[in-house]
Amino acid sequence: MTNKLFSVEDIPRRKFLELSLKGGIALAAAPALLRGAQAGQAPPRPQFALEDLNKVIRRALAKGGEFGEVYIENRVSRSILLEEGKFKSAVFGISQGAGVRVISGDKTGYAYTDDLTVEAFLRAADVASYVARGAKAVKPVDIREEKRPSYITVQVPLQTVADEKRLEIMKRAHDAALAYDARIKMASIDYYDEVRGRVIANSEGLYLTDELPLIFFIVQALAVGNDTSHMGRERLSRHAGIEMFDELKPEDAARACARESVTMLDAKAAPAGKMDVVMQNGWGGVLVHEAVGHPLEGDNIARETGVFVGKLGKPVANPKFTMVDDGTLPCFRGTTNYDDEGTPMKRNVLIQDGRLVKFMTDILSAKQLKMQRTGNGRRESFRYMPIVRMTNTFIDKGTDKPADILASTASGIYVQSLSGGSVNPTDGVFNFTCREAYLIENGKKTTPVKGATLIGNCLDVIQGIDAVGNDLDFGPGICGKGQAAEVAAGQPTVRIRGINVGGSRAR
Amino acid sequence: MDIKGIAEQLVKRGLKKGADAAEVYIETGRNLSLDVRKGDIETVQEAAASGAGIRVFVKGRMAFASSNDLGEKALEDAVGRAIEFARVTTADANNILPDDPGTTSVAGLYDPHIAQVPMDEKIDLAKRLEKLAMKDPRITKSDGASYRESEGEIVIANSNGLLKSFRSSGCGYGVSVVAEKGEQKSSGSDSCSRRFYGDLKPAEEVAAKAAREAYETLDPRPVKTQRAAVIFHADVSGALLGGILGAVDGERVLQGASFLAKKMGQKIGSERITIVDDGTREKGMASEPFDGEGVPTQKRIIVDQGVLKGFLYNTSVAKRAGVRSTGNASREGFGSLPGIGPHNFFMAAGGARLEDVIGATQSGLLVKGVTGYGINPVNGNFSGGASGFWVENGKIAFPVRGLTIAGTAEEILNGIDMVADDLDLSLTMAAPTLRVKLLQIGGE
Repeated sequence: MTNKLFSVEDIPRRKFLELSLKGGIALAAAPALLRGAQAGQAPPRPQFALEDLNKVIRRALAKGGEFGEVYIENRVSRSILLEEGKFKSAVFGISQGAGVRVISGDKTGYAYTDDLTVEAFLRAADVASYVARGAKAVKPVDIREEKRPSYITVQVPLQTVADEKRLEIMKRAHDAALAYDARIKMASIDYYDEVRGRVIANSEGLYLTDELPLIFFIVQALAVGNDTSHMGRERLSRHAGIEMFDELKPEDAARACARESVTMLDAKAAPAGKMDVVMQNGWGGVLVHEAVGHPLEGDNIARETGVFVGKLGKPVANPKFTMVDDGTLPCFRGTTNYDDEGTPMKRNVLIQDGRLVKFMTDILSAKQLKMQRTGNGRRESFRYMPIVRMTNTFIDKGTDKPADILASTASGIYVQSLSGGSVNPTDGVFNFTCREAYLIENGKKTTPVKGATLIGNCLDVIQGIDAVGNDLDFGPGICGKGQAAEVAAGQPTVRIRGINVGGSRAR
Repeated sequence: MDIKGIAEQLVKRGLKKGADAAEVYIETGRNLSLDVRKGDIETVQEAAASGAGIRVFVKGRMAFASSNDLGEKALEDAVGRAIEFARVTTADANNILPDDPGTTSVAGLYDPHIAQVPMDEKIDLAKRLEKLAMKDPRITKSDGASYRESEGEIVIANSNGLLKSFRSSGCGYGVSVVAEKGEQKSSGSDSCSRRFYGDLKPAEEVAAKAAREAYETLDPRPVKTQRAAVIFHADVSGALLGGILGAVDGERVLQGASFLAKKMGQKIGSERITIVDDGTREKGMASEPFDGEGVPTQKRIIVDQGVLKGFLYNTSVAKRAGVRSTGNASREGFGSLPGIGPHNFFMAAGGARLEDVIGATQSGLLVKGVTGYGINPVNGNFSGGASGFWVENGKIAFPVRGLTIAGTAEEILNGIDMVADDLDLSLTMAAPTLRVKLLQIGGE
């Protein structure tokens, strides 16, 4: 890919608000077909006989190649917007299709179709097999149904929930945000849920089917002050049924969002230059998701371009630093029972006490690197082939008390929440934008400061983390790497020494 | 398949099922994507796809459903679901559909030749691009080259009698390489996208730029935190437009969620700034004869010599504001409702040459790489990461990386004192090289 910036966001962004990414190839024609539709109650799912799928896999490997796969997907989604006191829109999406993939050596062929017929699958298999022309062929193993443990429990399935329930949850959040403070002039509530059905069959004889529910709930509140405005934000997301809202209350999210908006009306210009940064527990883990997680993905290691190439087994971070990618955390946004290639989810410790111990892999990069499959082969939809992606990524908890970390920091910036950011995985340079941050003066959190950018190099940051709290927490987001993936990021309260803060005034 | 016929029928079906107004948006198309690395194919992806989005209004309440199955049963089901879903929304007198039957004549949107170029030629093109980018000895690794193409047709029909369609195509290729020196690694990439295959830039040019970007900022030196001039090179200056775009979105303006909401007709920056939104430009990558709900596109001045002249509207937001749609309804595909977005969005070129801008700068930063979200459209705050070159006494002195730049939109827009002549009109959002007289830079 030529677009080298890997990004992570806390909400889906309308395209035109983004910076134009240098080096990306933008195609104007029918771009949405490349992006996939937003896709709730499904039409009856077509069933395919195992023998028909065997036939497709055999066709895929007819010209050569060592791995053939069929992925069939069916997604039903609902999205409702409540803004300015009105339920402005309701969007229902149905999207279904299949992708056929062939791997031959380092080459991958991929073709997809939204026509769910065996004939269309066979045509896709012909296209995908293009890359394997003349290569040595492997005889596919006939597929057999397998069962896997589930990390996702559902009490009230989304398919059984009346829309009125969704509206009620939204209204509770909307009203709580507006009631918080007279300066909150507008609230915007985005409700999204989907059920994604997957069928995975491959030439190794694997056959799996499952159904994954997902809820993404975003509250935004606009606070207007005398001379400035601030749009705060809070998100809730799980792979779960509607019971998610019994535990994660919409009112609580709305009040947290409104509190941020009102607080930031008093923000002063942030100082510029290198300083110590204390990051509060939770979504701040996106910093290591970007800065460390992406460079630990096996595809860039196999290409020998990444910043961690050749560093496996070596100390790379402060001994207090342990980083984990765990796709098995119950119902988390980044959790699935198995990845989109059928590899079971695992708890993968990537950096243990400062030492690099594992890279994340999909089937292809595991083969190239002669490493184990870690369950990180994921795809946005059937329109994309799977690539190496993170799941729930976090800095593991330490032993420091959060209050002590702050008190022992003479001066710097306290980051309560971040929006998103990006990293260049080759040189390891990352950037993040603070949404809510404060000055640290004499070990105390004082004045709120305007959204400053934090930038730095991944190796410097993980060596510079010298305090790790005992208060691990998480937040939900969207990871972009040419295609989108739902992820969670987490961390306890940590202190990073010497990060460059992009403030607008001199210290 | 008679897509227009399907669209018209579906509108009628919607009305029959109980909608007071209905709109159907259908996309059909195909795409190809090739990646090569180290002189060999890495991935080949190909597909044909289609889908329909159906928007209905029932007693002023709006809902939408989409399906990527254009079969009669699936579409019938989608219409039913949209009408059913309209129960949950709030009635709004602004929920209307456009009725302008016109289309803007825009030349050069579709190149039938792209599909006829053999696949092997496209693979060879990407291979050659990679080889050329690896030619410089400072380049040590390839992150691959790629080629992409897509073409398709969009059809819109609504119950006001609109029935419009257009075909478009696009192709592009790019490369990404790595320069290494000791422990240093630096990446560079460049790409070129065009409506017509024959208009693609020579591979030599794309390769050279990618390689230069990788090696030119090796051996960076630190600079102190200071206020100084900041020159945004044309490669990155377009990033400043993102926040302005967000702030001229007509809906954000009505909501008061824009730093420009109350500035219509007022001076918002230097008289050197003129910004245009152009949906009509020949062969423009973001040109189209009508917008995402069928309103004819225009070329409009958004900022005229520093004075704010225009906001962007789709049909319903325009009605709410008491104005006409500006043809800026944008869709992210058949599965999404029309929002508000730009076409080709440019800041006009000035008269200076890049060398003049550098030459006139005593001490400052020439930015060639930016990261971050740019200007915040709600409050105008700006902060980002920057890399490029330090300029001293009118000359490039040394490369710099890992710096920050920050300020407000007001500071940036008013502080622009030089604008160069190097605007690249082939991009969809671009500005020429421009200098901001004084901005906070964060470093050592």
